[in-house]
Amino acid sequence: MIDILFFGRVADRLGKRRMAMVLPEEGLNLLTLRLRLFDGDADERLRMSVNQVVVTDDRPLRDGDEVAFFSVFSGG
Amino acid sequence: MSESVGANMEVRLLPAAFDPAAVHGDFLTRFGAFGAVAAFTGVVRETAKEAAVDYLYLDWYPGMTEASMQTIAEAAAKRFDIRALGIHHRCGEVRAGEPVVFVAAASTHRRAAFEAVDYMMDRLKSEAALWKREVGPQTDHWVEPTASDAEDLKRWSEK
Repeated sequence: MIDILFFGRVADRLGKRRMAMVLPEEGLNLLTLRLRLFDGDADERLRMSVNQVVVTDDRPLRDGDEVAFFSVFSGG
Repeated sequence: MSESVGANMEVRLLPAAFDPAAVHGDFLTRFGAFGAVAAFTGVVRETAKEAAVDYLYLDWYPGMTEASMQTIAEAAAKRFDIRALGIHHRCGEVRAGEPVVFVAAASTHRRAAFEAVDYMMDRLKSEAALWKREVGPQTDHWVEPTASDAEDLKRWSEK
């Protein structure tokens, strides 16, 4: 099972802030998950993190991972 | 890292309204004796691009947002000759006219204090894990860092 969180514009667009997913037996990579969730929408500004660390490259997801998708940061 | 910043680093993500004057006063009491204190307060504007703004909503990622603010504070402590620093940043709903961010630095000389505050603000704009939405009678949109925010940030990588 992995936790998937959404923040900012991305949470608005999907109409939800979190979901859980059971990892398929054959495994699941981060970019495959992204493709599934966002239907191939190639939004360059979509950012990702795994276990609260921002990542840009693909990687296999493991049970217990916390994955997040969000738009670019804007604080201050 | 400047010799004693470690213990004098105060980084807070605040879900409720705060009083920057009180935070500033406390900072001066504790660290004013170093000789130079610089501070910046950001307040939610009542208009953005000519549209009235009722409030900002700052979305945050519990854990990651605090860590991103801490990273910025530590980088400032390492880069500038400062003795104390503070970052207080709101999250959640912040009404127009309310403070959203307060940043302060104490040093033995003014230049380091000014620069550390400037640096922390530039990085908070684009690198703190926060997402800002502007809401008003005629507007409701997520704000992204502007080209000028990117230029501001670049100033620190060219040095």
